[in-house]
Amino acid sequence: MPPGFIDLDLLTAAQIVLLGFIGGVLSGFIGSGGAFFMTPGMMNLGVAGPFAVGTNITHKFGKAIIGSKKHGELGHVDKKLAIFMLLTAAIGIRLAVWIMGKLFEPAGGHGGGHGAGANLYISTVFVVVLAVVSATMLRDIIRSSKTADAKPSRKIVELLTRLRLPPVIHFPVADVRVSLWIVLICGLATGYLAGTIGVGGFIGVPAMIYIFGVPAQVAAGSELFLAVFMGAFGAMNYGFEGLVDIRLVLLLYCGSLVGVHIGAYGTKVVKEVIIRLVTACIIALCVLSRAIAIPVYLRQLGYLQYNPAYDEYFNAASKGLLYASGITGMFIILFFVFKAYFQRRRVRASVVTGVRKTPATAS
Amino acid sequence: MQLICISRGTYAGGKELAEKLAVKLGYACLSREEVTDAAARAGIPVGRLEMSIVRHRPLNEQLAVDKERFAAFITARLAEGALEGGMVYHGRTGHLVLPTIDNVLRIRAIQDAETRINRTMVRLGLSREKARKYINEVDEDRSRWARMVYNVDCEDPSLYDMVVNFDHMSVDNTAVALVSLAGLPEFQQTPASRRELKNLMCAAQCRLAIGDDPRTRHIDAKVKAEGSKITVTYPPRHQSAAAPIPEILTSVRDVSEVTCTMAATNILWVQERYNAEGTTLPELLEIAEKWNAAVTLVRLIATDEAEPATDKAARKGEGADDAFPLSSTEDDGGILDDEEAEEAGDDGGMDATMDLLIRHGRAGGRTTVTGSPQALIRSLDRTLQVSLVVIGDVFLSRSDSLRKRQTRELTAYVGESLRVPVIATEELKAQYLFGASQWLKLAGLLCMTGLMFGLVMTHQEQATTFMMKEGLHHRVLSVVLLVLFVPTFAYFWGQSASYLLRLVKFE
Repeated sequence: MPPGFIDLDLLTAAQIVLLGFIGGVLSGFIGSGGAFFMTPGMMNLGVAGPFAVGTNITHKFGKAIIGSKKHGELGHVDKKLAIFMLLTAAIGIRLAVWIMGKLFEPAGGHGGGHGAGANLYISTVFVVVLAVVSATMLRDIIRSSKTADAKPSRKIVELLTRLRLPPVIHFPVADVRVSLWIVLICGLATGYLAGTIGVGGFIGVPAMIYIFGVPAQVAAGSELFLAVFMGAFGAMNYGFEGLVDIRLVLLLYCGSLVGVHIGAYGTKVVKEVIIRLVTACIIALCVLSRAIAIPVYLRQLGYLQYNPAYDEYFNAASKGLLYASGITGMFIILFFVFKAYFQRRRVRASVVTGVRKTPATAS
Repeated sequence: MQLICISRGTYAGGKELAEKLAVKLGYACLSREEVTDAAARAGIPVGRLEMSIVRHRPLNEQLAVDKERFAAFITARLAEGALEGGMVYHGRTGHLVLPTIDNVLRIRAIQDAETRINRTMVRLGLSREKARKYINEVDEDRSRWARMVYNVDCEDPSLYDMVVNFDHMSVDNTAVALVSLAGLPEFQQTPASRRELKNLMCAAQCRLAIGDDPRTRHIDAKVKAEGSKITVTYPPRHQSAAAPIPEILTSVRDVSEVTCTMAATNILWVQERYNAEGTTLPELLEIAEKWNAAVTLVRLIATDEAEPATDKAARKGEGADDAFPLSSTEDDGGILDDEEAEEAGDDGGMDATMDLLIRHGRAGGRTTVTGSPQALIRSLDRTLQVSLVVIGDVFLSRSDSLRKRQTRELTAYVGESLRVPVIATEELKAQYLFGASQWLKLAGLLCMTGLMFGLVMTHQEQATTFMMKEGLHHRVLSVVLLVLFVPTFAYFWGQSASYLLRLVKFE
């Protein structure tokens, strides 16, 4: 096998399919791409960080085409907004790929020296960004349980509306007016994170909701539309650098495209607060899992001194925690999904009887 | 007897106009504040509702139910007023309360921002800047309230029959002009509009009865009425609590039959004539069972209402061959023809279809709309969760080619307005059910998926080497193949997975 590509036996292939399935269930359930689980999952299976990101962004590209088509049919895609964001998102992706390439090279090219610099960089960005996302979600859940209200704050939207940085552009589907500069900055951040850790949606969607004031459904649809182009651009860039393992992309699809339907079914039968709680907890555990792996990269780079034999334990703990969080989250979702699925059949019979009352007394 | 709704902003003079108009016409005058007080006395937490909206927060489950109760309360009061001798209502969203009633005279009262600021400064003793801020905030709250409660943009001028500007007209003269306007035939009640008003009032009273009972107060129930027949739908999570609903509704006047349906969502079936024995109903029932949905019958009796009312009147002289000729203002004695009267006694097969839906526990209610596609959209409850609209045979009086074109236009218009999938009845099987052609497609898709997967997995060494090979030509070629191969595989396998899940009714 060429350097950087892992040997694929049946067990590893099955694990990749499982990663895809869990990622798909989580993705369908919480509306993100599932990369926060699949990227570190692949890294734990021995896939070098840049390969894991490149493979995942390519995987998301195909999936986003299908998802955005469905959202488009429902009128949830603001193409104008997505295209404006794309202008700088492309620069963000290119920047991310360039940084990744630079970090990967000194380690001896594809896979040499375990690509520790790139792995450390990816893991650090992953931990910082997703820790903030998870903490924000948990804070919102706690706040909403106290006040019995749940709504993204519009303080930033109102502040920016008052600032009115020209030129201000109207986005017709989302029905918002936003300064072009704000859109371009958010596009850049989304592209950079999509290119670095494959989770642009975690920035793009909240940015659209909290900063632009876009309705949640339109934000999700527009981000998916944006993801088609970002994914295509990312896939082309990583592909050009030879950092995409097409075998892993196909294996991920085998699991994710089934899981995503099951996860989406779950959103219709599970309360919103549970959806957000499960999501926040899974992300927090993924962050912890990646944080545990960081000392290994620090030691490989010579920043930390300890017995290399301990690497095995760090990796095992990281892998175990990631799988535990993903599998537990998946089982919680599947529990609700199948409970609702079978309950639906039981309940139907009871509704049919005694639904009609004739005649009633008239007062 | 009629209903006049005056929508007003803060200190825009609407209140004064409403009071003068009510005196001139001899109608009762009702303000939003009076309705709000009455609703609060009836136990609806209007204050909490308003605070949530002012603070830009969506409603939690209980407040969402209370919002429905308040909407029902205001609907009942206005419908009652319109039926019992006429009423002038003034408030922020009165024009939205009875959207299906065309004869309501809807007026928007506005005033120059400067005048409003001055009046606010005088009345509230505020500084200029604070008065401006106060007016802007109240106007924004009003818009948010309309979006939250009725899911529409209340600033849309097409929602009003007339906009009056008190900077150009005095309140007295406006009242005089509106008395004349209110006498026009377009704003008189007809037997059909009275029937519709009674339906709305009955549905609202039933909704209030459900909300008033402590056992069912928290249930997110949607109520429809057609005559004395009531249909209540509620979500599955309230299944156990919904049992007392039929008993509660026995106390509501004029109710003779109650149908309760538990449903997570709704499917609207638009058709001009229903056939309970046809193939569409079993297909719809199968989909409704899969989705846990209620099927709502919307009978559309199409007329040429898209054109302006003036054109209708002008058309009178040349309209000898029109399906539904309309009278002109001059010779109709002030009352427009009741178009629906022609259909009296003919339910278009709705009764039989409804009976079958009830038997299967999937009845979501019924509505008859006479008019254009715009009237159809106006007649729909925009707060209702709809997952699919199915359009069957409509425009039956038209020629084949015209019917096809108008049905296509209707499909596009409904899709754009409701933003949900809209399909024709003949597409149901292909889109949502599983038949022979779906088996064939699934087999084809699985073959293609297997072929592509097998190709890569049996040539791993070659595939990975190819992806890595140096040289610009190779790099570009590998990128092109990647961006073509990956989405194609995703499409084949994604469609296969979708069909497989549909096969096991997992949608």
